[in-house]
Amino acid sequence: MNVVDFKELKKGGMMRQKEAGRFSVRLHVVGGGFSAGQMRAVCDAAERYGRGTIHLSARQGVEIPNVPTESLAAVKEFLGGAGVGVGVCGPTVRTVTACQGCRICPSGVIDAPELAVAVDREFYGKPVPHKFKVGISGCANNCLKAEENDIGVKGWIEPRWKRGPCGFCGICEAVCPSKAVSVCTERGTVSVDPAGCIGCGDCIESCPTGAMGIGNQGYRLYAGGKFGRIPFLGRRILDILRTPEEVVAAIQAVLEFYRAEGKQRERFGDTLQRTGFDTLESFLAERMCVSP
Amino acid sequence: MTPTLDITKDVCPMTFVKVKMGLAKIPPAGKLNVLLAEDALKNVISSLKQEGHRVSGVSRRESAFLLVVEKEGERP
Repeated sequence: MNVVDFKELKKGGMMRQKEAGRFSVRLHVVGGGFSAGQMRAVCDAAERYGRGTIHLSARQGVEIPNVPTESLAAVKEFLGGAGVGVGVCGPTVRTVTACQGCRICPSGVIDAPELAVAVDREFYGKPVPHKFKVGISGCANNCLKAEENDIGVKGWIEPRWKRGPCGFCGICEAVCPSKAVSVCTERGTVSVDPAGCIGCGDCIESCPTGAMGIGNQGYRLYAGGKFGRIPFLGRRILDILRTPEEVVAAIQAVLEFYRAEGKQRERFGDTLQRTGFDTLESFLAERMCVSP
Repeated sequence: MTPTLDITKDVCPMTFVKVKMGLAKIPPAGKLNVLLAEDALKNVISSLKQEGHRVSGVSRRESAFLLVVEKEGERP
């Protein structure tokens, strides 16, 4: 490579280091998952082309630093042979992060890695006004910090109370972390405040009689979050979505909105602050035929 | 008389371990009273349900809860 186009290299996940002639090579990681074989190839590549070190980024990213300019093509080819792609940078949809989800984690409500693969397949590396991050948490414990992402997803489970089997023991009220459940023994009622419910399902799991059953279950979306210099927590949008396909369609619509309304180098959260969240809600309602 | 296991001073996973050990001493379909703090309710009850036991009674004891746990299985 005679003339080095740093901008093009950065777009392709090769980031120029402080040290002249060296690059940190960002890899394509989906939902924090690599096979053992891929991991071995990353280790081999770091030893062969870098200085034998690997950097794990804040968002489940993997980078091989210290790769000289003349080895960039070779490291890409070497990794490609093991099924490891290089990452992206710049104004694109970035690494889709995810927890281990309901197949591994006892708290998991949704299959977060499966959704990460679907979202990545559809949107990874696609151009947008500024970097755009998607993070998927399998449940309300929110290990993947949904609200810190441009679009965050959380597994969500809401209770539905049945009078018949209820013994009015008060356990649901006692375990509710957001105090959304109220038991009234005199009137023989248990009520759940939908605005206060955080979708953790603790009341369902703890109920000894099964009176607290599963009402709504699915995917809860948050929009406009970011960290960095000026952090901002994303806000809840839409109703609970039922399938991964609905989530992908919602993200598609959100990206359409961002591409239409966002200015160059304006983070999605800033776009929403400028246009108002209700503008996004109306756009999504029209696009997805749901109530905002 | 139904034995009572007090795990109000324990934290997870010892709450779970002690209930499991307590139930090991009870015959199938036998009863064990478990006195526990609010914080332990979710994990203890969900693991009891997962292992096929039943919580057949609940009452409050000041800041704690007393569960009547029925061990899974048929009476010998």
